[in-house]
Amino acid sequence: MRVTFERRLKQPRWLSLAVPVVSVVFALVVAALVLVVTGHNPFTTYRELVDAAFLQTGSLGQTLISATPLAFTGLAAAAAFRMKLFNIGAEGQMYMGAIFGAAAGLYLGGRGGPSAFVIASMVVAGCVGGMVWALIPGILRAFFKTNEILTSLLLNYVAGYVLTYLIFESESYWRQTKGFNATTFPTGKPLPHNAIWPGWSVHVQGGLVVPLGAGFAVLAAVILWLLYSRTRFGFEARVLGDSDRAARYAGVRVRRKILAVMALSGAIAGLGGASQVGDFAHSLDGDPNGLQKQGFGYSGIVVAALGRYNPFAVVLVAFLIGGLQNAGNTLQGATFPAGLVGVIQGIILFSALGGELLIRHRVRIGRRVRKDASTAPEPAA
Amino acid sequence: MKSRKLALAVLVTAVVALVGATVGSASRTHSSSAYKVAFIYVGPHNDGGWSQAHEDGRLYVQKMLGSKVQTTYKENIAVGAQFSQTVASLVAQGYKLIFATSYGYVNKAFAAKYPQVLFEQATGTDVSKNLAEYFGAAEDTVFLSGMAAGAASKTGNIGYVVAYPIPEVIRHANAFALGAQLTHPGATVHLVWTHSWFDPSAEKKAAQSLHAAGADVLGQNVDSPAAGQFAESVGVPWVGYDSNAAKFAPKSWLTASVYNWGPYYLKRVKAAMAGTWKSGFYYGSINDGFTKLAPYGPGVSAAAKANIATYEKKIEAGTFNEFTGPLYDQSGKLRVAKGVKMQVLKGGTNSLYGMNWLVKGVVGSPKG
Repeated sequence: MRVTFERRLKQPRWLSLAVPVVSVVFALVVAALVLVVTGHNPFTTYRELVDAAFLQTGSLGQTLISATPLAFTGLAAAAAFRMKLFNIGAEGQMYMGAIFGAAAGLYLGGRGGPSAFVIASMVVAGCVGGMVWALIPGILRAFFKTNEILTSLLLNYVAGYVLTYLIFESESYWRQTKGFNATTFPTGKPLPHNAIWPGWSVHVQGGLVVPLGAGFAVLAAVILWLLYSRTRFGFEARVLGDSDRAARYAGVRVRRKILAVMALSGAIAGLGGASQVGDFAHSLDGDPNGLQKQGFGYSGIVVAALGRYNPFAVVLVAFLIGGLQNAGNTLQGATFPAGLVGVIQGIILFSALGGELLIRHRVRIGRRVRKDASTAPEPAA
Repeated sequence: MKSRKLALAVLVTAVVALVGATVGSASRTHSSSAYKVAFIYVGPHNDGGWSQAHEDGRLYVQKMLGSKVQTTYKENIAVGAQFSQTVASLVAQGYKLIFATSYGYVNKAFAAKYPQVLFEQATGTDVSKNLAEYFGAAEDTVFLSGMAAGAASKTGNIGYVVAYPIPEVIRHANAFALGAQLTHPGATVHLVWTHSWFDPSAEKKAAQSLHAAGADVLGQNVDSPAAGQFAESVGVPWVGYDSNAAKFAPKSWLTASVYNWGPYYLKRVKAAMAGTWKSGFYYGSINDGFTKLAPYGPGVSAAAKANIATYEKKIEAGTFNEFTGPLYDQSGKLRVAKGVKMQVLKGGTNSLYGMNWLVKGVVGSPKG
């Protein structure tokens, strides 16, 4: 028997909905086998998962804590990947956004300005922080043809060390140095109250607070969508992503575009960092067991891929993956190893991503490959 | 075609079954009246170090109280977002007492969000109505383990792998050096910072570099046994930390300062169940069994054992304390005057919880 993948000429619309659904169901069936083998009831496990992620009181609020940063890093990845610029550095760009955003919040908030002004400054500072960090691999790529996958990835580690250094290994502006607690264990200086981002209270599940950052993430998605589908900038970026040479012939300024897209991607990730400070931590979280342990930047790449780089889909996927992460904390415990949670999450993500292949390709199973009109030849790469 | 239809049918059946069963199982069985206690670990529950010591404590509580309590743990939980999610789900499941076993998890503001839940945090200082703090005087037992290291060293060059330049770690490095200098006058303790609590590869590299620089005994204030495994491979004695890790380096193992969290946990769980739980700052010691020395390995001589036992008794009796002056810092400056004993919390940088300087004979920077 012979199995071949053929690129689809047309991608039917119903497929782009059916495939993810079937993929997830397939994943749940496979994961159920794993659960049964390890002695757990798959039905109660799934029920618990859904409950913990979305249904039980307070769960949506906790899911948003993961979903908000994932939306930012997902959008950051989507913005760059669309142009086939593989910015793996959302993680580090997020830290830099947090550092810049926290600096703005601490400094301007401490001077007692109006809250709206302080928060707006934090947003701008966060974007700038991420942008600066993303432009390093951007410039290297644009002018020296350095592989941005490697440079952006390695800069994540640098950013992590900078973050830890500021809180754990120096008496920096960001570190709390007053009071007894400050001498016993390093922590960030708390933001003044006018630098803390407000949330919207919604009457769901007995009072859900939607963080301001979640609003910004949706806004960023709208802007990104407009930019890529309604402007010349987006068109050129997409052309460039599809064919470097074609774009060049059409007069696209490639270097400028690379820099612009990297800056955009970094700014979104940086905004996510500012949101970490303003929405959640309320100080610069330099604890190596804190923000850095979460790996939102890396999960964001998966979120972007699952959302097929469509900004709105990315936000939706971020919400679902945020729920999955949140539920993972509920599932694991003395009788349910954390590793098993990881296996289930992995199966779901793997299947969902694997399913993507089926949207663009069709599988032929048979002894011989039939040649009929509906089959397109594999285009030359 | 046939096989595709069959596959489709199987899938549809599976979906229907899954959805049906999931909805159908809505009435989950909530377990009986057992008192629910949760433990939150920053590393894996079987890390061979810090988190495992807490896990041993949890198992002790479960064993002693049996069906009267229901305990669970959450491992690898990040400070901040993930901790908040984990606590929210634990509270929703009816957990009443939560031991957060690392600093930075809980502060007063966080604890105030769940007034009906009792929080206990290891190594911290923030105390409020429903947030207690606890730790043990490991410096005493680290000092004793340093004595074992000093006695085992021929050259007096001892390596010590350390995590972060914070008072807790500096305190332990100092205590280790003071112990080593007692049994090996003039010994120097060389530090290598790993900038991580749990990073086996960095710990191994640190041990390698210390050994290459001439250290003939290794010690550590990090959580994995990687330095010990390296020590075993090059035949150098090793002092662990947090947990009895002798099995990772049976020949090199000397001893380690270990925590015995179980009795404290049992006491607190019982108090919480009886409604007599009170917040506070608890600092255990050798005397109440909170800290102790792990069993000796083959490299500890009989003379060293006897010497350590003498000092252990003196510490228990309160007639000796390693952090009683005169204490000199690295530059040779007198920091603590003769006869003055350092306090746990009071005294700024001359307190156990505020120490930011290294004693004479330690080679390395207290800034990391």
